[in-house]
Amino acid sequence: MLPAAAVFHFPWEISSELVTDGASIRTFGRLSKYLPEESKAIITSHHASVEYQVAVKTTFVEPFAPIIGAQYTVLGEIEKSEGDGEVVVHARVFNCVDGVDVALLQKAVNEQRKFFRERDGEAGTH
Amino acid sequence: MDGNQGDAEDELPSLLWGLDPVFSAYAQLYIKDILQMRESQQVPGIYFYKTHPLFQVDVLGTVVYRKERDDFYCYGVDDSTGVINCLCWKDENLQDLRDSLTGDKDPTGDGFNIEEQLRKLLEAQRISTVVEIGDLLRVRGSLKTSREQREITASLFYKVNDPVMSMQISRMLEMPQLYRDCYDKPFHVPSTELSASSTDPSSFQCILAQAVYILKEFLKEKEVTRFRPYDVEYLLHPLIQQPSTDTSEEQEPGSLQSTVPSQIRNLLKETLKILQVEGEIFRKVLSQDEVYNVTEHDKDLLAAICDILREDCKVEKYAEKGCHVLHILSSVRQRYSRNLNKEALDVVLKFLECNSEIISTSDAHYTIL
Repeated sequence: MLPAAAVFHFPWEISSELVTDGASIRTFGRLSKYLPEESKAIITSHHASVEYQVAVKTTFVEPFAPIIGAQYTVLGEIEKSEGDGEVVVHARVFNCVDGVDVALLQKAVNEQRKFFRERDGEAGTH
Repeated sequence: MDGNQGDAEDELPSLLWGLDPVFSAYAQLYIKDILQMRESQQVPGIYFYKTHPLFQVDVLGTVVYRKERDDFYCYGVDDSTGVINCLCWKDENLQDLRDSLTGDKDPTGDGFNIEEQLRKLLEAQRISTVVEIGDLLRVRGSLKTSREQREITASLFYKVNDPVMSMQISRMLEMPQLYRDCYDKPFHVPSTELSASSTDPSSFQCILAQAVYILKEFLKEKEVTRFRPYDVEYLLHPLIQQPSTDTSEEQEPGSLQSTVPSQIRNLLKETLKILQVEGEIFRKVLSQDEVYNVTEHDKDLLAAICDILREDCKVEKYAEKGCHVLHILSSVRQRYSRNLNKEALDVVLKFLECNSEIISTSDAHYTIL
């Protein structure tokens, strides 16, 4: 069975209501911390002068050689815990993409969203 | 039959699919769209994105699923809009070749060793076709639906080395543009003036082909040597339906003449144009009086060419090899008609050769028998 498509989300959207529990997503960020004993990594990113953190569960992608401070992309499922509302991405893919042009990547994601919005909007009106 | 006519009518007739450039290209579509496209009712294995018929696609995405079988791999490719199965065959020839090469390593190790280089090439090839989950994969192939699941049978697939995501980003930026410029634009069958007035856009090419055939048959059967357009116009009448003929009572010949739609004249004009391009007919002189000579039946033309060959083949220059086609063309233009084209000359030469009056000595040389 094929998994669901992992839709691009910006790190600052992960904790929002937009992203539901169990959703397949992909996002990016700089690896700031890796805790091998907990199988947990933290990726951070900046948007509108606010720092956003995304917690990543790495059990599926271990072992891997973490490069602290490098850009990573993560693809996996959202796990929201009931109690404290903490959001974790359970990674299926965790790739180092250090050197990526983050601004251009954001532009590309926005272009794609804009295209689908326009097209689906068009189809809706007819 | 009427029940599904609605859907079938939305589809372009399969005869015209080739006119759509998207049909013969590998369409770069979002996987979401590939999964949702509707299959053709006329031909299974052909799918429609909006009005475009297609069967080959080109996708780029992250491998999220992988299954190895004896002779193929199944990769699930995710482009962030959808996930599709890609069937990638293992290349057995490559495997055999690789096996045959291993073992006999060059002991000297210096200089250019072709086996060594080939081994390196095969190794590089192997690496780019062995894909793990998380790798970026590019797949081109044809679509099929098996067990209600749509999948791509790869004709080409390779791992894309994209350490800083530049390939993925440029593709994400490129695709909306591609959709706007191409896939989302409806495909219109190129139509001529005549077909614009008729309801079915496909009919004109069809009628034209019939008209050319009818006229050729007529000229051959009746051994026509020359004619004027109005002599043959009546032959094309059955091809153009006149809506009034069924309902109205018989009309006088005079008024019929005036109601002949310009369509017929247009069709005749196009037909004559094609026959001229094919060299079947030509106009000896361009004048007000539109007379067409039928190339094969023009006795004077045949005689003129035989004369030219008979005389010129006596000249030492042409004695051995015969005359070149272009030489014959310029002579016949001087002697007979300035208006004869190369195609018409080819028709005559072929005709004369069939009648064993002349013979070709090479692709472009003829001599008299």
